[in-house]
Amino acid sequence: MSRKVAIIGVGNSKFGVRDDALLQEIAFEAVKEALEDAGITQKEIELSVVGSVGTRMYEALPAVPVNEYAGFSGVGLIRVEAACASGSAALFTAYNAIASGYVDIAIAIGAEKMCEIDTSTSTAVGGRGGNYLWEFHMFGTSFACYYAFYATAHMNKFGTTEEQLAMVAVKNHKYASMNPKAHLQREIKLEDVLKSRIICWPLKLYDCCPISDGAAAAILASEDKVKEFKIEDPVWIAGIGYASDTSNIVRRPDYVGLSATVKAANIAYKKAGIEPKDVEVAEVHDCFTIAEIMAYEDLGFCKKGEGGKLIEEGQTYIGGRMPVNVDGGLKAKGHPLGATGVSMVYELTRQLRNEGKNRQVPLKKYIALAHNIGGTGHYGYVTILRR
Amino acid sequence: MKIMSDAKKIENPTIMSRKLLFLHKIPILKTRKFWDGLKEGKIYATRCRKCGQSYYPPQADCFKCLASDMEYFEIANEGEIVTFVASYLVPQGFENYQIPYIIAIVKTSNELKLMGFIEGIDYKNIKVGMKVKITTKIQPDGFPAIVFIP
Repeated sequence: MSRKVAIIGVGNSKFGVRDDALLQEIAFEAVKEALEDAGITQKEIELSVVGSVGTRMYEALPAVPVNEYAGFSGVGLIRVEAACASGSAALFTAYNAIASGYVDIAIAIGAEKMCEIDTSTSTAVGGRGGNYLWEFHMFGTSFACYYAFYATAHMNKFGTTEEQLAMVAVKNHKYASMNPKAHLQREIKLEDVLKSRIICWPLKLYDCCPISDGAAAAILASEDKVKEFKIEDPVWIAGIGYASDTSNIVRRPDYVGLSATVKAANIAYKKAGIEPKDVEVAEVHDCFTIAEIMAYEDLGFCKKGEGGKLIEEGQTYIGGRMPVNVDGGLKAKGHPLGATGVSMVYELTRQLRNEGKNRQVPLKKYIALAHNIGGTGHYGYVTILRR
Repeated sequence: MKIMSDAKKIENPTIMSRKLLFLHKIPILKTRKFWDGLKEGKIYATRCRKCGQSYYPPQADCFKCLASDMEYFEIANEGEIVTFVASYLVPQGFENYQIPYIIAIVKTSNELKLMGFIEGIDYKNIKVGMKVKITTKIQPDGFPAIVFIP
């Protein structure tokens, strides 16, 4: 029987082009906030799990400098990698260490610097997120290409429009403009998206998340520790689902949804004992606008093929049926790979504590969902939080 | 100082890291027929002699029955476009490719899917479901490629 695990502290650095700071200095911002939020010191922490893709950084083993700089040298240390879902993999690892009874307090740190190298190199590294030899080697498939394959197929099969994709960007920029930690803190109009330059048709510049630096941290604790610290009414991890898909994209049956999302969500819903309709606020993996539309469908927020309609109806805004990415999402808050999954949990923890300020979603059941994808559905993690 | 000019609004002081270049020697012993085939206009997949499972891209070991006894077969030279993109990005290593380059996923009559370039046509004139001929070429930079001709 696994033990209950609570989130007792969260932190998030400013996301953006952070040429003012090293990886460990950015991670420190997130760790400091999380420690202060939890009201504990490093001495209480038994295990440090660092989620980082790391392939764009001069530090090849980033967990080591991050851990030392934040004052964790000496405690158990693991670096985990699950592409863009590395942050969720870090949380999952920390969660399991506590749920299994092995430790009582663990920290999950997601940290990534992506802006220290040029865009051409970054594109080539990102394109290696599926299968280098059989795909990138011959065809130069960038990450945008992978999601563009899905966009073309989704538009062709369901009639999803470029305008509907653009609406996702407009929504997420609106919330990023209200989030002081977001990379792109400005509102945009539908025509800004439609007129932006083509990156990989049918995806245009504003359909794509920016290249960002950033870090986030979450401190997890056992129920015993929650009682010992006299923490009233914390946020609990109600369930984590996980899945994967083929490395070679050509081995998949279709390109209109991510099976890793469907499988991970089913596991998470079952573990948490809830249904999609119980979720009141969600963070979904919107690295590209098409990804958010597919996530609506694959997570069961609407029927397959109706994701475009859901955003068109405004249902994923605050006040709608299912508010999604009210922190700006990957699309406008930014997507520093390893940080993203932890940053989703940062936002949702604050939402569940009613600390969302002008972006607070009205809650009744206090159930939130984080959906974090690595690669193009190569890894899928769905984490359900409850208070 | 190409690297510096590529990043946005660099205002803060930075220092340059030491150079680190990776070029990998990739073993092709177990899929050599595929790589040789590309030079002759042929695209090979593999099929497990024990259980019949077929693989594209070709692989030497069968994850279904765990045997390592594969036969090669040539994939059909015609197929239908399942999805496609037109990329304006220039990843490192593709500096000499004309943009936009069009990449498609095509389904062949023997139910395998493969990736390839579409050349000589504007992407606006390409549609999902379009029939293509499947061929190969050697690019000017020496790398092989699979090419679809509508």
